[in-house]
Amino acid sequence: MGSLPFSIIFIRHHNNSIIFMTTLPTPVANGRSPRRWFRGSLLPYIMIAPPLLLMTLLIFLPALQSIIRTLIVDADGQTGFSFSRYIAFFNDKISVSNLIFTFQIVLLTLATIFLVCFPLSLYLRFAKGRIAGAVQILVLFPLFVPGIILCYALIRFLGTRGTLETILSIVGITGYRTPYLKPEAIVIGLVWESIPFTVLVLTAGLGQISDSLIECARDVGAGNWTIFRRIILPLIIRPLLIAFSLNFLGIFGAYTVPYLLGPAAPQMMGVYMQQTFGQYRRPDDAETQAVITFLICSMVGLLYVRTVAKQRIQQEESE
Amino acid sequence: MRYLRLLLVSLALLLVTATAVAQDAPKEIFVYTDSDTNISDWWTNTLIPAFEAEHPEYKVVLTIVRGVGGGNDDIANRALAALETGDDPQVDYFETMNVDEAQEWVDKELFLEITEENVPNIANVIEATNRLPGEIPYRGSQVLLAYNSEFVAEDEVPTTYEELMQWIQDHPGQFVYNRPDKGGSGAAMVTRAIFEVTGKDPSLFVPGEADAALIDQFPKAWELLSSVHEDMYEQGAYPAGNTPVLELFANGSVNMITAWSDQALQAMNKGLLPEGAKLAQLQDLPFTGGYSYSAIPSNSTNQEGALALANFVLSPAIQESIVNEIGGFPAVAWSELPEELQTQFTDVITDTVPTWPGGDYGAAMVEGWYNNVATNIDPAS
Repeated sequence: MGSLPFSIIFIRHHNNSIIFMTTLPTPVANGRSPRRWFRGSLLPYIMIAPPLLLMTLLIFLPALQSIIRTLIVDADGQTGFSFSRYIAFFNDKISVSNLIFTFQIVLLTLATIFLVCFPLSLYLRFAKGRIAGAVQILVLFPLFVPGIILCYALIRFLGTRGTLETILSIVGITGYRTPYLKPEAIVIGLVWESIPFTVLVLTAGLGQISDSLIECARDVGAGNWTIFRRIILPLIIRPLLIAFSLNFLGIFGAYTVPYLLGPAAPQMMGVYMQQTFGQYRRPDDAETQAVITFLICSMVGLLYVRTVAKQRIQQEESE
Repeated sequence: MRYLRLLLVSLALLLVTATAVAQDAPKEIFVYTDSDTNISDWWTNTLIPAFEAEHPEYKVVLTIVRGVGGGNDDIANRALAALETGDDPQVDYFETMNVDEAQEWVDKELFLEITEENVPNIANVIEATNRLPGEIPYRGSQVLLAYNSEFVAEDEVPTTYEELMQWIQDHPGQFVYNRPDKGGSGAAMVTRAIFEVTGKDPSLFVPGEADAALIDQFPKAWELLSSVHEDMYEQGAYPAGNTPVLELFANGSVNMITAWSDQALQAMNKGLLPEGAKLAQLQDLPFTGGYSYSAIPSNSTNQEGALALANFVLSPAIQESIVNEIGGFPAVAWSELPEELQTQFTDVITDTVPTWPGGDYGAAMVEGWYNNVATNIDPAS
């Protein structure tokens, strides 16, 4: 980490949400001149102040206000604490079906992402040469395609009489049913969008496993499967958890892909919230939906923070 | 001394020629638009050259404020500020404007009243445009049925909403409309169902506070639309916009859709739709539509020029060009246009253009559709 005793990392994830990763400054040993004291103790805090302020003012404070607002209900001219908005949400079949639908899509998408990305990352970690280079570029390509362009491309590719159906009919396969405007299309779109980020995190994790470790194991007669199960898998659990939680957050709040490629009903929470707020003109209900979404996502966020923090602690202990 | 006289004479001459030139120089009309590219292109390439050829005394300066802040609204507020201080608003003509959008504009009479005296051609504008005194309706668009005549026989084309419902049931998977909040062409399909079950009288629906008795009748429209839900494209798939619907029609996935007249006509002119693509309008009560209104600020410094421009825009030649070049509908009666054009558009010509008020009605319409038509879950059960 160089000379700075702490780090702030910004990652731009899909949906343009920015994820802050901050690790607190490591305590600096005593024996100080004022200048050292400034550089050692004060400067780091001054430098993390702007992002911290930004998060407090623009994220935590409004979120807290929202949560409080949804819990204070005006009934018969009397304001009081009540869960009635949440009870209404969970009693409404449509909103519950949308929440369940969102979970289903998220889990299905995550499972598919790992099925696709894990082998890809293993390949990119161990393969060398031109083809590996080309695959690397291809894998990163979705990073540079805006979501809305992707959606229209997928409509043309997967839709009825689209490219895929044409190719299939040339090789004699008929009876193609398009996934467009069905849940499957959302999964396809989101998986495609998430590939670069996931592969980047996983290959970075795999990169930390040194070649010598694997060679040692091989020398004592370990087969490929044993190496994978006993060495690679345990060492890659943490990058897997990071990729899981960050993808979960991005997908749970996805908007463009489910909006353009998915069915009119049921809807994912992102689309549903926008609809409730903008079209049904019910800001109160939209806020309740937002708080529920926020709470679910913050639990996964917690998992992420714990994973990263644990890593730091272990690293420091080993140093 | 002689030189001085020469100098004075030549100076005087110069002054005289300069003023003469200045008098001949065309007077500028400042026009502002925030409409789409197809509209601003048509102004630049067609309308303005034609106007300047007929009125060499004027020069039109078109400023495009599309996507710049609040677009034309910002310029109108600037004009309002100028009205209060007595300054030159530096705008003479708004290509589109909702003259009653801000109460202040109405109270301070920001927009000039248009009458047959100052714009003679306003007399030809049809009733359906429902214009306010300050408005100059000049181009319209209406939702229509687009169908592929290769697969839909001429005598099969629905002429009433009932026939349309029947056609959809008889041809499962061949019709599609978009979600009502994602594009006007799908909304027209839904609002037309609401008109159908409330006595086919769009005049019942006026902007402002919604009539609860009318909203109570919406479930009948949901029943009607649900009865064809399974017969839609892919057994009830509704795309998220006008363009995706047009695209499904263009690639032959479906054979009939609802579409905006201008989008369908433009796509046809560009050869994007199947060769057999044709347009039709329901004859018992047409689908909804709307008009674009121009307006002239009352403090314009070239009011004469602006009024001449307004009159020119409503002339038969320009109204014809609106149909042919931008796929719009005329604001004047079709009977004012050449007969050839009337025959070409005979299936879609109507002087009835119902409007949908939106507001509370709109929210009830969209939510009702999502909860009752798009989903198979009954929220009440």
